[in-house]
Amino acid sequence: MASLSSDEWRAICDKFTNAQNLTDVESRKDPDNDPFRSKYKARELLREIYCSLKNFEAGDGEEDSGGESGDQRPKEPPVDGQREDVFGQGFSGDSPAGLRAAKLGAVEYYLGVNHVDTEELSAGQEHLMNCMKLLERCRVSSENVSLFIHVRNQLGILWAGRDETETAQGFLETAESIYQRYMKEDGSPPTDMTEYFTTEEKLLTHQERTKRFELAYTHTMYYLAQVYKNLGETERAATYCHSTLQRQLQLNQFSPMEWALNAATLSQYYITKGRYMEGRHCLAAATVISGLAGEVPSEAAAQESETECERREQLRQKRAEIARCWIKYGLNLLQDAKKLLEDNIGELDSDRQEELKRARRREEEEEEKGRKSALLFGSEDTFDSIASLEEKVPCLLPLDFTEARAVFLVGQTYVTQAKEYFQMDGYVTDHIEILQDHSSMFRGLAFFEEDLERRCKMHKRRVDMLEPVCNDLNSQYYLMIRRQMMFELAETYNEMMDLKLTLANRQADTESLDNHTIKKFNSLCSASAKYFQMFLDSLCSPEGKSPEHLEEEVLRPALVARFRVARLHSQLISSVPTMQLDNLNRSLENYKYVVEYCDAHPEAVAAVETELELSREMAGLLPLKINRLKARMAENN
Amino acid sequence: MASSQVELSADGGRVAVQVEDKFVRIRNVKVSVFAVDSREKLLEFCFDYCYWSVDPADPHYASQEEVFQDLGVSVLSGASEGYNVCLFAYGQTGSGKTYTMMGTPDSIGLTPRICQVCLRICVHVFSSLCSHFSFLEIYNERVRDLLRRGEQKKRASLRVREHPDKGPYVQDLSQHVVSDCKQAMDLLEEGIANRITAATHNHDASSRSHAIFTIQYTQAILENNLPSETVSKINLVDLAGSERADPHYCRDRLTEGSNINKSLVTLGIVISALAQNSQMSSSCQSINSMASEGDGSTVGSHSSSLSGGGGGGGGGGRRHCFIPYRDSVLTWLLKDSLGGNSKTIMIATVSPSANSYNETLSTLRYAAHARNIVNKPRVNEDANVRLIRELREEIDRLKSMLLSFEMRNPSPSLSDERDGNLSDIVLQNELKVMQMATVIFDTSSQSLVIFS
Repeated sequence: MASLSSDEWRAICDKFTNAQNLTDVESRKDPDNDPFRSKYKARELLREIYCSLKNFEAGDGEEDSGGESGDQRPKEPPVDGQREDVFGQGFSGDSPAGLRAAKLGAVEYYLGVNHVDTEELSAGQEHLMNCMKLLERCRVSSENVSLFIHVRNQLGILWAGRDETETAQGFLETAESIYQRYMKEDGSPPTDMTEYFTTEEKLLTHQERTKRFELAYTHTMYYLAQVYKNLGETERAATYCHSTLQRQLQLNQFSPMEWALNAATLSQYYITKGRYMEGRHCLAAATVISGLAGEVPSEAAAQESETECERREQLRQKRAEIARCWIKYGLNLLQDAKKLLEDNIGELDSDRQEELKRARRREEEEEEKGRKSALLFGSEDTFDSIASLEEKVPCLLPLDFTEARAVFLVGQTYVTQAKEYFQMDGYVTDHIEILQDHSSMFRGLAFFEEDLERRCKMHKRRVDMLEPVCNDLNSQYYLMIRRQMMFELAETYNEMMDLKLTLANRQADTESLDNHTIKKFNSLCSASAKYFQMFLDSLCSPEGKSPEHLEEEVLRPALVARFRVARLHSQLISSVPTMQLDNLNRSLENYKYVVEYCDAHPEAVAAVETELELSREMAGLLPLKINRLKARMAENN
Repeated sequence: MASSQVELSADGGRVAVQVEDKFVRIRNVKVSVFAVDSREKLLEFCFDYCYWSVDPADPHYASQEEVFQDLGVSVLSGASEGYNVCLFAYGQTGSGKTYTMMGTPDSIGLTPRICQVCLRICVHVFSSLCSHFSFLEIYNERVRDLLRRGEQKKRASLRVREHPDKGPYVQDLSQHVVSDCKQAMDLLEEGIANRITAATHNHDASSRSHAIFTIQYTQAILENNLPSETVSKINLVDLAGSERADPHYCRDRLTEGSNINKSLVTLGIVISALAQNSQMSSSCQSINSMASEGDGSTVGSHSSSLSGGGGGGGGGGRRHCFIPYRDSVLTWLLKDSLGGNSKTIMIATVSPSANSYNETLSTLRYAAHARNIVNKPRVNEDANVRLIRELREEIDRLKSMLLSFEMRNPSPSLSDERDGNLSDIVLQNELKVMQMATVIFDTSSQSLVIFS
């Protein structure tokens, strides 16, 4: 810096500080109708700094070396990654030429970011590439490694925005490997780019340097996560998101509620992949970290102040959302276990159960191993609380009623929590989804319940929670949700009917069924048919006509509903022949509908193969039954 | 029902875009700074309609009237059939979204034209009809009423809520009953004047906010010879510029391409998308996810196992999760427009200028992708294996009955048929059959075996 007086240098530093302040602080206050005012001002300052540095360079004795490397500058495509070794060649970072290149590069970098931020992408790209070219002349060292990473992060963003994901990937992966190699080979806290333009007394502490450098790399990880996501490599994307979260926690760079919600969301990814241990870990971490956000302000406090009100709303909402993630955890665990243990008629397969219980020991060992190798969340003070919360919740598929009940109870606790915030008035769809989940959890638990009376009661609970809501909703806005509930209610009533039947069969050895049981059976049967019919009616035109063509998304449900209505009508018990005849005719009508619809729409066959085959048979056989009944009736008259 | 249109407008300079019939071609005429990328690329996109609105002297010039005849008319006919209709405009700042949606005094756009026709129909065809207009703006996730006059104007942000009976709504949004075109135009102008617009180097009045103009109109129809009413909603949406680069702004998923979110503040969006994609196997997820959000529980948590029968072991089968990502206000408000019974038209506006090559390409790609926006909520369904098994048993019984019946009675005279056992099966109910049957409880398999 021989030819630059200290006054001149101080002026440059001031300009830089000013530009930073304009970009980061002032720009937030820019009016809506002139949103880039401060950034445009910052741009001017950066340009001035650039000119001063250039002038200084021109008047400098070491210019020749700079010129030389200008000639060797390779013409390269904007793809990073296959470049020759950035650690081995070029000026060393602390040489005067190296430092000058880094400084100029940093100004180009800031100009690039400035242009991108103000929606002038092509100009931004040019500046960023200028920065790349300047860095090409340098070896990676603690003086410039931060800039090496930052500029690639920015180019990654820029190219991803143009749908050139592979190009972005190249830049970001190079940034990643530069970081890793630097940490391995050097690892000393690197100079931050802002330090290029600060006077001696304002240099950063080692701690601050590390913090900023690590944050830049956290961003690289985050951008890579997005690139992998856009490339469809979800597994890899999830790992990078996980690492991003972990780094935020370790480096203490996070806001508790936001972090917690993100971890809870990541749990949902793991759950859909059936990875319950990882899912549980994320959820436990979410719950613990969300606790760091403090108490929910009381209603009274919220009424006093706008900020408290906002805070109350935020905390309640986010905690309720984390609760809903836990609900899905419990629900999926139950459902997966059910799927695994079901025999061919949907009952618990005890051979399978024994077999799985034997295999359990092995699984437990694997869990232990998995835990050790997994990417674990936690800072010193949260690690233990996360682990102890994890211990309270099972993560293996439940194999018997006791285990299933433990999972169910965890889920149910969170149902109560979630409903406190997501009330019907104001959050209709959210509230109902929670109810549906609760109902599905009961269904999962009922599968494990051996006592049929109690099993029946669990299904009754499902009906009680869904029925009133289903009947109160306005179809114009909530048609889809109502349809789902109608279907579920129909199936639940049918399930109860089956259970009553099995119970009755067990008890009634020889005696005929008592009136009460028949009545109960019939009412369940009619209720089931009623909801299937309601579902079918919801598909009709305003004039009440059945649709000629069933849309793909309702095709199977509609035909299955017909099929099941047919079946239910043939199951109704009546001692009055005319009513029997009516029921059988209704049944026949619905079987015939399935057959005729599929004959007219051959593309529907694949969706309902079994149901169609059975309907065809029944449509052929039922007339016989009907004729016999008619004959009997004629005979009796 | 989603369809896409592309419209072009001029901003001078070299032209990189051609329009012919339903095709848009874009040529990379700008020589890139990097040698390898300088090869000329010609990319072609096909849409339902493409318009060239650059030079009025051009023989292929598409006027506002022409656009209205194609799109506006289909909006109106959809609404009169009782659909919720939604029309979006999407594109780079300065490419003419607002021009298309709102127009200029000399060349009025779709929204005022639709209003006019709507009111003409209302007034002339159904004399008792009424239309409610509302106009709001979403700016940084805050909802402002553009037609609210007087003291309440300073209110921070209106809340969006769901009512069990009234559906999704904006609390305290003003509704304006309008009876003639003049009134409607005045309201529209008042709203536009209230919009937040911003000056950038690209465009001096670029829209920094989404604006939704909603016409809700009630039609009288005869249902079973009884007078009845249907309410239709038309949402006309002018989206904020597609290239918005503010890192603190949470990108709406609707306007999200393959961009990278810069700020870690948006990590949640990325993780949400991951979780969501992983539970949907569909290929056009980024868009589907947006549409499915509209129905909360639907696609998200209840896509049915269409093939029936629960999948095998724990590894298989769909798992449904909860994505704790609040819908953007935009998605939330349009959920009933994007859901099942609705028609959606999307207009993508691009600049023909070579300078905007990258942004234009990205808009066109997005629009091509957007054709797949469909919201298909599913019904969850139990595997009815038990029912199928029982039915098979009944069929077997009926068949064997038929067989023995035919053997005994080649000519079916039914009167003296006294085969107690089989005829009982036919005449009695299933239940009674079971009740007479010997029931053995097989403890090993815990299933019922019935001998009749």
